Amino acid sequence: MEQFAPVKRSKDGQPIRYLIVDDSVFARKNLARMIESFGGQVAAEAGDGLTAISEFDRTHPDIVLMDITMPQMEGIEAAEKIVQAHPEARVVMVSSVGYQENIVAALQRGARHFVQKPVKPEVLYEVIKYVLGEDGVVATAAGAGV
Amino acid sequence: MTNPPDERGAELQELFFETSQELLQALNEESLKLEKNPGDEEIVRSIRRTVHTLKGDSAACGLRELSELAHQFEDALSLDSAASHAALAEIAFAAADVFGGMIAAYHGGGAMPATEALRQRINELTSAPAAKKLGRKKKSAEAVSQSGKDWTETEKRALAEAQAAGLAIYDIAVKIDPHCTMPIAARQLIQNAISRIGNVLVARPDAKSPAASKQVEFVVASSQTEEQIAAKSRIPTITGEVSITLIAAASPSKSSAITAPAAVPQSPASAPEASAAPASPAPAPVEPARVEAQAAAPESAPQAMMENILRVEAGRIDNVLNLVGELIIGKSMFQQALNEFGKRYPKELLRGKFADVMAFQARVLNDLQRSVMKIRMVPVDQLFRRFPRIVRDVARQCGREVDLELSGQETDLDKGILDAIAEPLTHLVRNAVSHGIESPEERRRLGKSPRGHIRLNAFHQGNQVVVEVSDDGRGIDAQKIRAKALEMRMVSVEETARLSESETLELIFRPGFSTAEEVTEVSGRGVGMDVVQSVLHRLKATIHIETRPGQGTTFRMKLPLTLAIIKALMFWVERRLYAIPLNAVSQIARTTESEVHQVDNYEVLQLRNQVLPLLRLGRRSAIEGDGKSTKLFVLVITVGERKYGLIVDALEGEEELVIKALDDQTFSTDLVNGASILGDGKVVLILNLPAVVEHVALSRPEQSGLTNCGILLNHADRARLALGAAGGQA
Repeated sequence: MEQFAPVKRSKDGQPIRYLIVDDSVFARKNLARMIESFGGQVAAEAGDGLTAISEFDRTHPDIVLMDITMPQMEGIEAAEKIVQAHPEARVVMVSSVGYQENIVAALQRGARHFVQKPVKPEVLYEVIKYVLGEDGVVATAAGAGV
Repeated sequence: MTNPPDERGAELQELFFETSQELLQALNEESLKLEKNPGDEEIVRSIRRTVHTLKGDSAACGLRELSELAHQFEDALSLDSAASHAALAEIAFAAADVFGGMIAAYHGGGAMPATEALRQRINELTSAPAAKKLGRKKKSAEAVSQSGKDWTETEKRALAEAQAAGLAIYDIAVKIDPHCTMPIAARQLIQNAISRIGNVLVARPDAKSPAASKQVEFVVASSQTEEQIAAKSRIPTITGEVSITLIAAASPSKSSAITAPAAVPQSPASAPEASAAPASPAPAPVEPARVEAQAAAPESAPQAMMENILRVEAGRIDNVLNLVGELIIGKSMFQQALNEFGKRYPKELLRGKFADVMAFQARVLNDLQRSVMKIRMVPVDQLFRRFPRIVRDVARQCGREVDLELSGQETDLDKGILDAIAEPLTHLVRNAVSHGIESPEERRRLGKSPRGHIRLNAFHQGNQVVVEVSDDGRGIDAQKIRAKALEMRMVSVEETARLSESETLELIFRPGFSTAEEVTEVSGRGVGMDVVQSVLHRLKATIHIETRPGQGTTFRMKLPLTLAIIKALMFWVERRLYAIPLNAVSQIARTTESEVHQVDNYEVLQLRNQVLPLLRLGRRSAIEGDGKSTKLFVLVITVGERKYGLIVDALEGEEELVIKALDDQTFSTDLVNGASILGDGKVVLILNLPAVVEHVALSRPEQSGLTNCGILLNHADRARLALGAAGGQA
């Protein structure tokens, strides 16, 4: 029942839009649920790096959550390609401890942050706020206690 | 707190149980590939990826035992020694089985399978020679931080230049959150963040140093204020304490400061523990991480297709389909009303309007029905892809070498039918391996390749789907079957003489039939081909055998595209309405009683150049009074590969019927497999043709009284259908 104070885009107050990239349907669903509990919106999903790139071009999400090990094209390469084409893209790598070096590689290639699997909603929430920086605001509805 | 709360958790688990089946399937497929190409790193990587996903998913669901075991396996797979381990495929198979068992146990609440054996085998992998885990020594790295303020020459130069350019020089020391399980990644992230603050002149300790996992320190030339820097270098979940020290203020005033960089006021921008709340309960220390080169698996195309797929409970779709069925009934009710209206007011102009609306609605309804049916369609691949593993296992058990070829996997079939044929198909494939294919030695002796070949194929044929299992084995010996059937008193001597080759082969579908040689560990076991037959009957499907001694056998199943709605031909027998699937009817002919001949107590009809055995649904006596000149309709129907003539009194027409299943209490016969309600409320019974034909074939003329295997429909229609064997009453 974790409920988070919704995070919105500071420029227009709209929900943050996400692209979720993971080859596991389950993992995508799981992330989508968390995102919704942050007041965000899933703009698109992708199950491999290639699709991720085309979905990014199509939907221009605010944040990309990117798995590392995927078929077709791995997350690192996809992240790199996306950031090359859109330097403003915020790519957050999502992966497990065992892939630390891959995360380092992704960070060197322009990924903004990473979270560890299994993803904890409260961690992801913090990461997202951080990655958005000034472009995101926490809606100050009732729970101003953030 | 990591476990999602109940309701959401339950839903997630459901999803997990579904998706994990795909992972297991993938694991099986990959293991099979590995078995064929031992040591292929690409395959090992993809196995690891699958196990990795399974681990992650199960951990998120709180299925601890499973995720731990998967984790252990994943770790083992990351070792070089594992990839080249000879028994890896074997272990992967075992893992797939154990994982599957665990998932089933979580799901169904049964007992957990024993995991000890698997653990041991996994340990074999890790303890294999050269089990090299680079011992990563952990060292207290505290000391490193403030120590080195002795600048190298190049560093000094950089400092001077930055200062001259009007930048302040800061020393930024960032502690890495001790709970962060990925300190190396954390370090990189911090470095990224810092580099956005300004020019990084010095970074230490070196990234490779073990101390780097505790704290990192940067000397940065920046134009930003201390607060800005403090804000930017704090990263939630990553950083602990951050301390920022101004080494040299931005001053164009000479390069005086450089020489004394050490003693500067410390302004501990003391990071409020940004990472505070989440504080994960510090799990595993440092794992041996291995860079995984991009593994662009070429076979992952279907995965990409999965993108826009929606998972829906089958029950919901059935519900929609049912409603569509009701709509179709509604349509014919409306049509009927319209006809009456037209009769009563033939001049009324409104009629045309009604008809237009009707036509429009009918078209939409048609599309709707087709769309809903399509939802239920799934590619047969869902079933076929289980077989590589099954064939492998059975082949091992009986010492065969078998290659399995799959084709036509993309053929769509109703999900219900697909599920129903899983068992019969498995039976056929097992049989093909254990009985069809000869042992390698025997094959060699016969001049065949020692490896047997089994082919599973599916394709559309008209309104049906054909699924074939063929092997290149020894074929079925009709003589042997005949002898066996005689021995088991399933047929009489005269009868065997009369049976055609294909009829003889069909004897193997009779209950209880089994040739002695046939009972083995693998198949046999009492459940035999009659199970296959009975399932297929229920589905209104047929099966046909083609065999050539020494060259192989093909079992060909013809299945309806869907179970729920059929295009049917309706006809009358003894003032009762019946229907049969339209695609079974190949011809409609008219004849008279005088054309019907008797051959061996069976009625036959010569139609052009073929002789058709006749099936009579009604009692012969009912029409006997009218004598020889009575006109008859004969529907030429195809069941399996044979044609029969079905005698009916009158034809009603074609219609799409929505089949309503009849439960066993209403009905005690398999001669009818459903009923449907017409627009005017009439009930029509849908005949199960294979059963009707079999019934006739089984009932020998001398057995009388078969005429009255009545079919009773309860309240709606309590008349009796007398099904007479051909000539039974003669």
